Amino acid sequence: MSFPATASAVLAVGDAVPFRSPALDWHALAPEAVLVATAVVVLLVDLFTAERNKWLASTLSGLGLLGALVPVITLAVDGNTRSLFGGAYVVDDFALVMKALFLVAGYVTILLSTDYIGEGDYWEGEYYLLVVSSVLGMTLMASARDLITIFVALELLSIPAYLLAGWRKRELTGNEAGMKYYLMGVFASAVMLYGMSLVYGGTGTTVLAGIGRQVAGSFGATPVAALGIVFVLVGFGFKVSAVPFHNWAPDTYEGAPTPITAFLSVASKAAGFVAILQLIFVAFYGRDEVYGPMMWVLAALTMTVGNLIALRQTNVVRLFAYSSVAQAGFILAPLAVAGDSPAVADDAIRAVVSYLLIYTAMNLGAFAVILAVSRKTRSGELDSWGGLFEYAPGLTVLMTAFLFALAGIPPLGGWFAKFQVFKAVLGAGGASAYILAVVVAVNSVIALYYYANLARLMWFQSVPDGDRSPVRVPAAINLALALCVAFTVATGFFPGLVGHFGDAATDLVAVALRR
Amino acid sequence: MTAAALASEGGASAGGFPLLTSCVVLPAVGALATALVSRRRPESSRLVATIFAVATAALTVAVLVAFESGEAGFQMVERATWIRDLDVSWHLGVDGISVFLVVLTGVLFPLAMLGAPPHHDDKPFHAWLLLLEAGCIGVFLALDLFLFFVMFEIVLVPMYFLISGWGYANRRYAAMKFFLYTAFGSAFMLVGLVATAVLHARGTGGDLTFDLVTIASDQGAIAPVTARWLFLAFAIAFAIKVPLFPVHTWLPDAHTEAPTAGSVILAGVMLKLGTYGFLRFGLYLFPEASAYFAPLLVTLGVIGILYGAVVATMQKDLKRLVAYSSVAHLGFIALGTFSLTTQGLQGSVLQMVNHGISTGALFLLVGMIYERRHTRQIAELRGLQKAAPVMAGVFTVVMLSSIGLPGLNGFVGEFLILLGSFLTRRWWAVVGAIGVILASLYLLWAYQRVFHGEPDEANAGFAEMRVREGLVMAPLVALIVFLGVYPKPVLDRIQPSVEALVAHVEDHSDYTEPPVATEGQRARSAAPAEEGGD
Amino acid sequence: MSAVTRFLAVSDFLRSYLTVGIFAGVAIALVAGILGLGSLIRPTRPQASKYVNYESGVDPVGVGWSQAEIRYYIFALLFVLFDVEAVFIFPWATRLEAYGTFGAVEMGIFIGILALGLLYAWRKGVLRWL
Repeated sequence: MSFPATASAVLAVGDAVPFRSPALDWHALAPEAVLVATAVVVLLVDLFTAERNKWLASTLSGLGLLGALVPVITLAVDGNTRSLFGGAYVVDDFALVMKALFLVAGYVTILLSTDYIGEGDYWEGEYYLLVVSSVLGMTLMASARDLITIFVALELLSIPAYLLAGWRKRELTGNEAGMKYYLMGVFASAVMLYGMSLVYGGTGTTVLAGIGRQVAGSFGATPVAALGIVFVLVGFGFKVSAVPFHNWAPDTYEGAPTPITAFLSVASKAAGFVAILQLIFVAFYGRDEVYGPMMWVLAALTMTVGNLIALRQTNVVRLFAYSSVAQAGFILAPLAVAGDSPAVADDAIRAVVSYLLIYTAMNLGAFAVILAVSRKTRSGELDSWGGLFEYAPGLTVLMTAFLFALAGIPPLGGWFAKFQVFKAVLGAGGASAYILAVVVAVNSVIALYYYANLARLMWFQSVPDGDRSPVRVPAAINLALALCVAFTVATGFFPGLVGHFGDAATDLVAVALRR
Repeated sequence: MTAAALASEGGASAGGFPLLTSCVVLPAVGALATALVSRRRPESSRLVATIFAVATAALTVAVLVAFESGEAGFQMVERATWIRDLDVSWHLGVDGISVFLVVLTGVLFPLAMLGAPPHHDDKPFHAWLLLLEAGCIGVFLALDLFLFFVMFEIVLVPMYFLISGWGYANRRYAAMKFFLYTAFGSAFMLVGLVATAVLHARGTGGDLTFDLVTIASDQGAIAPVTARWLFLAFAIAFAIKVPLFPVHTWLPDAHTEAPTAGSVILAGVMLKLGTYGFLRFGLYLFPEASAYFAPLLVTLGVIGILYGAVVATMQKDLKRLVAYSSVAHLGFIALGTFSLTTQGLQGSVLQMVNHGISTGALFLLVGMIYERRHTRQIAELRGLQKAAPVMAGVFTVVMLSSIGLPGLNGFVGEFLILLGSFLTRRWWAVVGAIGVILASLYLLWAYQRVFHGEPDEANAGFAEMRVREGLVMAPLVALIVFLGVYPKPVLDRIQPSVEALVAHVEDHSDYTEPPVATEGQRARSAAPAEEGGD
Repeated sequence: MSAVTRFLAVSDFLRSYLTVGIFAGVAIALVAGILGLGSLIRPTRPQASKYVNYESGVDPVGVGWSQAEIRYYIFALLFVLFDVEAVFIFPWATRLEAYGTFGAVEMGIFIGILALGLLYAWRKGVLRWL
């Protein structure tokens, strides 16, 4: 019996159906439970501590995120796929890999934030509470296999993010960031809800697996199904800032506090992709002639437009904003061919998951360097990066590594991500796939230009203001940098590491095809 | 000899010691070691880097010593799984085609390092240079499509930094142009190589593999028409790297603006990545497509020979002149490669080495002139022979080698190329031979303007070659003379591999080598005007 | 079959929308008719004082676009928040016995988290008027 059917029956006739309390698998829910507890503790601690002890909030939320990682690991060791609430909430390897990604990304964000938020004129406790809540929404999203659960997860991760984006409330750019992100996000939610209502109306269920059966059957052929699929995916197109739904991203990224920019460009984007993967592979898999061309166009447009605009940026955060738009295009590319065959679907999901993992490390690392450097230069302009090598050689080398990793130069992690994308796209075969592969190839060259340009500035330009005093990097940022660079380099040399996670994630497809 | 002989992994093994791996790893370790030296001690960073470069050179020479002549297949093969799921392995091996390129790389790097030290920031300069060396040697040794690509890409970054950090006035533009051109090519190669592996797996019904030897021996797995497209994807990357005629425009800028050591390596080693790629990933991997596209590539090669020579004649800048002469020389190598004859290929491989030595030496000499006079304009230099007779003498030898004077190394290579291409592409060879004449025109004319005549007061104080500079030039000059007088030991090692490669092309396409060419040694002594042709 | 019957035969689903449509049409017609009739038969004598904003018979002071006390906003927000949450509690209360312990614990967690919000508001001093 499907979930909404039960619910409506309960509402309709008072005591006709005896209520049976659902069996709760506490182990499966443990990561989320830990996060909720962390959020509550952080709130309470913040309310009852003096101003000088506010650092506790940061430490506690960091520990909480790491603590939530423990049940994720035990669940992974256990290895069983657990399905709760009539299939609305599933803990499988895909979900666990993504949960681990969100938790670690959240932890790195907190490391990046500690000094930034502590030194600025900001509310501290609320900040960490909101970060933890947003991560909670993301972990929920990783398991959500039901339209309503997906929507709740999306709002849970987005609403704190809207607030965080506007955290620099005394500055106009900060207000602009929050406002734009909020308005566009709400608009996207509305579009998505409309699509969901069409899909629900046609299938009579909100559970993705059930929708998948219907979409593969007679309902899938109706125009309403196509309309619903397009609207839902467009909604998530906003979330992952795919062109032409990207225009909130640069202003938001520039105005938001830099750690939040890193968080949005990595974790929030990954959450959008997780939802897209679940929708495409579980619910809409039968209609690849609807989402395939759409993803093709989105991918090609996203990477091309993102890259071309990135070429002209003079502000480093905006540069990374557009570069992350372009990277989203690379991640979308395998989805365009995912419906080709089960083998290609496997490859596509492997490519997307590995790309997300590696991209997270590279981009967070780059933002960590940006944060560390801007602590000294107090500027986001590209010119202020001139001659960084002369006074901060370590940071320069790290940033160079992250830049070339993002550009996909081996042996740093990024190449494996790009390679997986190529493998998935070319594995599908056919003219449109080959054209897409060439578009990806040409775009990776365009991206090289601005990455290499920033690298050149750091190494060879003279210091603009002649101030060669060294950059003092706080311990938290050092730790974040170490984590990111270790992962980036390790995956470059031992791609099997990430490949393993990518393989694990393919069980999402297995579920989709088993029906 | 058949393709099976080519694929056989026999020959000498280095008795358990991973010689080839150490050739790749040692410079990379050296780069790291150099980077860790304190930046207040530039001398010690230079010392560390030189020690590593020399040690690598010794290792490459050890490879040459361990190399067994008369073997066609890959020798000293080392293989370790890298990425299990994709069957990507750390698969290294050397054959007659690559062995001299490895030695050339090993020898040129320390010479470039000693002959043209940087003016500032010694430490990063040397670290980048060593990383570049690791990548170059890796390209020549890789027997895995994937590993090859990785090495091919690694090479880009250090060279970009070398040009943009230590180059001349217009370095930023040149470095970016170099970087983007090459990266553009390799993007196509990445698409091509992934598609090759995927289609191969689909064609054979087996598992995905990136192993070069496996894919190259299963020639039936990929449909010929598809293989042609794949060949083109690879060819774009290699044509840019060589560079062949329409995509050569990055070369003059990059070579002119690069620091001397960078130019030496760029011309001496990095251009060979493209021509070597054509041999290994063109002829070997896609024999049918190579035969199909040979007329196109031979034509591009000949255009390059003439175009490079004509443009070189017009240059006012000495370094730019040498840069354009590279375009012409590399055109010869392309002509020889796609003549698809044993002689032509032998000449190409030899000429790759020769060009590395001669043009490397020319760039070193131009660098020395620039150090003294701070100009590269031919019009501002005059009568240097009076002031520096020894340098003029060395310049003469190197220049004559570049022209292809009999008795010096350039002649042997060019002669074999012309001989080989005459057998299958007579008119192309005839037109290409004009390039030899033009080469003597632009080089001799340049020599005349720079070294002859009475020096004016600016040039009168031109310093003679120093001992250190002489020691750097000596091995190069010795090699020039040795290879010109007695190329046999080199050719003997190249020949079996080249013959097997031509046989491989014959096996898998409707191309047959003209009989006169297959007679090997005897044909070489025969006059080219004899019975031959298409 | 005539066009009208065919239209009426479409489905119950559409017919229920037809009711909504007719209702909307009648409503619009009624309002337009009454207002239109009024404007036709009433006398018109315009005076400046007739155009002043109506504020329960008192002459308006200052401009209409004035700032309200920010505390009203926060109070209103808190009120709406807790008011909406009450909507979730009512249906739960009607089935309390059926839900048993599970339901009680669930609602306990729900109210507990709501109470945290109130606690937050209190600690931040929003509940004090002055």
